[in-house]
Amino acid sequence: MTSLVVKNELNASCRHLMNVIMADDKDVLRDVWFGRIPACFTLSPEETTEREAEPYYLLLPRVSYLTLVTDKVKKHFLRVMKAEDSTEMWFEYEGTPLKWHYPIGVLFDLHASNTALPWNVTVHFKNFPEHDLLHCTSNSVIEAHFMSCIKEADALKHKGQVINDMQKKDHKQLWMGLQNDKFDQFWAMNRKLMEYPTDEGGFRYIPFRMYQTMGERPFIQKLFRPVSPEGHTLTLGDLLKELFPAAICAEDEPKRFQVMIHGIEPLLETPIQWLSEHLSHPDNFLHISIIPAPSD
Amino acid sequence: MSDNAESPTETQKDDPSIQHAATEHTGASDEKKKIDVLLKAVGDAPIMKTKKWSVERGRTVQSLAQFISRFLKLEASEQLFIYVNQSFAPSPDQEVGVLFECFGSDGKLVLHYCKSQAWG
Repeated sequence: MTSLVVKNELNASCRHLMNVIMADDKDVLRDVWFGRIPACFTLSPEETTEREAEPYYLLLPRVSYLTLVTDKVKKHFLRVMKAEDSTEMWFEYEGTPLKWHYPIGVLFDLHASNTALPWNVTVHFKNFPEHDLLHCTSNSVIEAHFMSCIKEADALKHKGQVINDMQKKDHKQLWMGLQNDKFDQFWAMNRKLMEYPTDEGGFRYIPFRMYQTMGERPFIQKLFRPVSPEGHTLTLGDLLKELFPAAICAEDEPKRFQVMIHGIEPLLETPIQWLSEHLSHPDNFLHISIIPAPSD
Repeated sequence: MSDNAESPTETQKDDPSIQHAATEHTGASDEKKKIDVLLKAVGDAPIMKTKKWSVERGRTVQSLAQFISRFLKLEASEQLFIYVNQSFAPSPDQEVGVLFECFGSDGKLVLHYCKSQAWG
């Protein structure tokens, strides 16, 4: 049984997670999948409209992608705009373009986790920021990106053997499960990607990405084994020690950074293998946001 | 040292961020700013005369794809797909340095390129 530390004032999905601290590991999978972020979409004041644009409220799935779940947002704002102004929709938060190809929960944790809900996102239809965002012209672009992430993760976990042994229809099932918010359909296939040989202590390498807002590079991704050469189970703390030691502070020091996964701060003693199996996103990556600790 | 093949790069850096790798590099060091990339053609994609390149770690997959397209004089309408491990297509904004760290072998990152989707 692994316990998780939860902050106080977070959103409903986190409070729910707190309620299942001592529950089955499988319940954690369900709570991760159904995590939601309440968002308020407002049209950018620079966009010209024929009528006034009301804000649009939506609960966003943490594990999905912005362009996959905002068709209603687009329809809502296009109703008040001229037809010729309807080019590709993109999103921004406090001046930062939001990368649709990052999971929604990662974007929120990284940019807005310590601000009041709902998450206020600005919608644009003009001036697409070519240098910051990838284009997303259809759902097949999202599907291709999602499947590529899964393949990359499996290349790290199993040298790609598990994903390659699956049939095309199995790959499709993973995508359809995400697209249609079908937990059981998704996990019927995904559980195979979470297995490992019984004589090993875990995956070959852990698929993870560590994000910072003020970093030089978009994220840190390196090879990291879940078990040490001596056979010790490695933890989140071990991962941080190696790749982001500033996030670990002594007991008497004030905490400078929060290490956030799905909006919570897991104990540093949590085995990284367990985190990979239970707190990964559907893309099979463990996405870790490192943000400045709020000054209370 | 043999002639350096320089890429027509959009960056303002003085050093070309893609150079012909004239010598063998031994080992992989975190301090090295450039990594070795070996480009392999798939399907009907033209074969690069120069296959081995020294690329800055921070260079993106998209930037490298554009370089290959220009080098091969592909039409603007022709797409180029890049694959790692002959299995997945990295995101266009992915840095080659990260791919090298995770999927490099024998001191280099092997990338396959083709004009149509090869591995889905």
